[in-house]
Amino acid sequence: MKLTLLLTTATASALALTPALASDYPNRPIELIVPAPAGGGTDNVARMLNQYLEAELGQPVAVLNVAGGGGAIGVNQFSRARSDGYTLLSTWNSPITTVPHMQRVQYSYETLTPITSTSQSAYTLCVAPDFPAESGEEFLAELQANPGRYTYGNDGVGGTMRLAAERIFEAFDITARPIPFGGAGETLQNFLGGHVDIYGGSITPVLPYVEEGQAKCLLVTSADDNEALPQASGLAALGHPELETVLWRMMLGPEGMAEERAEAVADAVARAVEHPEFQAFLAAQGETLNLVRGEELRERLRLETQAIGETLESLGLKQQ
Amino acid sequence: MFESLLNALPVALQFESLISLFVGTLIGILIGALPGLNPVMAIALMLPLTYGFDPIIALGLVAGIYNGSMYGGSIPAILLNIPGTPAAIATTFDGYPMTRKGEGGLALKTACWSSAIGGIVSALALMTLAPMLAKVTLAFGPAEYFWVAVFGLVSIALLVGKDASKGMLCALLGVIIGLVGVDTISGAERFTFDTLYLVGGFELLVVLIGLYAVPPVLEMAEKRNESYFNAESFRVSPGGGALGLLRRHWRTWSRSSLIGVAVGILPGAGGNLAALLSYNEAKRKSSEPESFGTGNPVGIAAAESGNSADNAAAMIPSLTLGIPGNLIAALVLGALMIHGLQPGPQLFTRAPDVVFGFMWQMLLTAMLLLLLGGMVATRLFAQVLRMPSALLVPTTLVLMAVGVYTVNGNVMDLYVMLGFGLLGYLLNRLGFPLAPVVLGVLLGPMAEQNFRLTMLIAQNDWTVLFTRPISLGIVALLAAVLISQLLKTLRQRARSAAHSQQR
Repeated sequence: MKLTLLLTTATASALALTPALASDYPNRPIELIVPAPAGGGTDNVARMLNQYLEAELGQPVAVLNVAGGGGAIGVNQFSRARSDGYTLLSTWNSPITTVPHMQRVQYSYETLTPITSTSQSAYTLCVAPDFPAESGEEFLAELQANPGRYTYGNDGVGGTMRLAAERIFEAFDITARPIPFGGAGETLQNFLGGHVDIYGGSITPVLPYVEEGQAKCLLVTSADDNEALPQASGLAALGHPELETVLWRMMLGPEGMAEERAEAVADAVARAVEHPEFQAFLAAQGETLNLVRGEELRERLRLETQAIGETLESLGLKQQ
Repeated sequence: MFESLLNALPVALQFESLISLFVGTLIGILIGALPGLNPVMAIALMLPLTYGFDPIIALGLVAGIYNGSMYGGSIPAILLNIPGTPAAIATTFDGYPMTRKGEGGLALKTACWSSAIGGIVSALALMTLAPMLAKVTLAFGPAEYFWVAVFGLVSIALLVGKDASKGMLCALLGVIIGLVGVDTISGAERFTFDTLYLVGGFELLVVLIGLYAVPPVLEMAEKRNESYFNAESFRVSPGGGALGLLRRHWRTWSRSSLIGVAVGILPGAGGNLAALLSYNEAKRKSSEPESFGTGNPVGIAAAESGNSADNAAAMIPSLTLGIPGNLIAALVLGALMIHGLQPGPQLFTRAPDVVFGFMWQMLLTAMLLLLLGGMVATRLFAQVLRMPSALLVPTTLVLMAVGVYTVNGNVMDLYVMLGFGLLGYLLNRLGFPLAPVVLGVLLGPMAEQNFRLTMLIAQNDWTVLFTRPISLGIVALLAAVLISQLLKTLRQRARSAAHSQQR
């Protein structure tokens, strides 16, 4: 009896001490789960940021790649981690806002603790030089006038690029035939070889071909125009800024992570991204900085989850 | 172009570059030789360490690890029947029987020379023909990829040998394993039994390690009390000089290297396909095809020069087009981008020293293999055979488990590896061949996906499979192979019938 009491008191006092210790956070190494394989785009950006983040946090951060299930396996594993702030997640948006519509997962944007977003990049739609359109508007008009005639290569069913394109096509009443490939590289190969009419994918791989005049990119899936692709229209210019669908990256904590700790990490990230080497690296990847924190970040996740859910439903891909 | 090539030679011969090549090749051979540890992982983890240095150092390490691991994979394949990398599967067919016969030394030497030759031919193709071959890459659409996969599937018929029905069953089993997961065309889940783990399908490496590497370990454990290797197998003194090898294998080397390069320039096909196709082709062309699988060094020469010739050629689409041919090529592209070099057609003019320097490095590492592989690694690793099974079995299992775990960081993969290990062991015991299973896993999905992509693009008009010139070419080749094989079989039958009548 006495022992129980003693233990209870000890535990209670330990718990009471925790907030007081918050200023010490972090005081031991942090594990960062990346739900993608080593060497991929998500992993590269996470590891690069990590170099600077470690210095800001004053503790080593170990990257653990848990790949599979479109990112869901890694995030599931992460969602079961202790919420003490020593296990963090570095992910792109699809596992949080798309995958839960298509698979049963053990997390959602509501349960995970939003820390901060880091960077983003738009997708682009490009055509061969002889395509009868010279601007975003003409491009959409040509597609509208020829339903089902053009094929566009994309990153597969449930891929963010495909969803970005379908959202636009739906709004403009366009029927184009999606050809699902394994990713931007495969899409580019088939586009350059003339096997599909339209390239749909990230901007960086196609950029050299725009410079060479072998491709003209007429649309980007962000609201704003893109400096690297002057011929392409952003969605705001076409009157539909709300259709923006981009690839973006963020850091999240498990459910119930203390707010001060989330703040501490977000502050460290904000300082880490200031390094010019990191910014040069982002520019080379075609990504731009984008820092949205806390509840604002949750709201962004909520809106995107909802919009993607609607698109998936109209494509008949949503699983109940 | 040749001027830039010459200008880049001093860059590749810098002291730092040579050191990185040396270290990379050594690491590569080690990684390749340890089953489970794979070069992609090694490169992904080492590259961030080199961001602060000149790109040529990073690329030297990549070139070394890449070429080194291709040869390294053959060492356990030959000595223990455990392919160190998936591409070394075909090397086990004849490599291990040679070790059992006490010719392990010759087998290792053949593998080393074959890897080096394949690597050199491939690097030369990269240096001289890259822009031209890149056009070939683009000409291959889904229809052509479909036929390449069918070609590979048909070649299973040659692999299965006498018991055709068992071989076909195994190939089907492989295709079914390959079906598991989300269908990338429709998004439907297949054979996932509502488990999240199966949604992504089986990880190829996990299946291959399980099927191919676990059964030999179990067999070793079984025979722990008998002497598993005869005294002769300790002999690793090489039989015959380099000239003898050249005289014996130059035909196989040239044929397999060409196959390796051709497979290499197709993104997504891979070294394992190159090795298996080379092996089959060598068997088909041989005057004594029965000797394949019983310890014929020609089989090793074909497999090893085939898979190594895939390496540099796989860099052709990455460097010229910015389209990665495999995971390692994707890592190279990532490394170039981190140094501010955008892959694509302009790379050759904007950073000639880096691109051509890397090509020289690919050539130099292939040559380094002869030195490091032949003189150091082979002798060192052959000592493994002296280890008692009681030590060898657990060590190998631990290494494989570590390797498999690092792929996805998922414990479930370990159970799957063991499951496939037991399956492989059973199949082995019942006399079912494993190679068709692997080919089925590799080629079944490739054939299916590309067939459906073709139909999607052509709106279900199947005539495109025959009307495109390259497709038609592959179909003709396929028909030629099948008919010649049929004629051969018929002739043999007639001969044996005549033989029995005489008696």
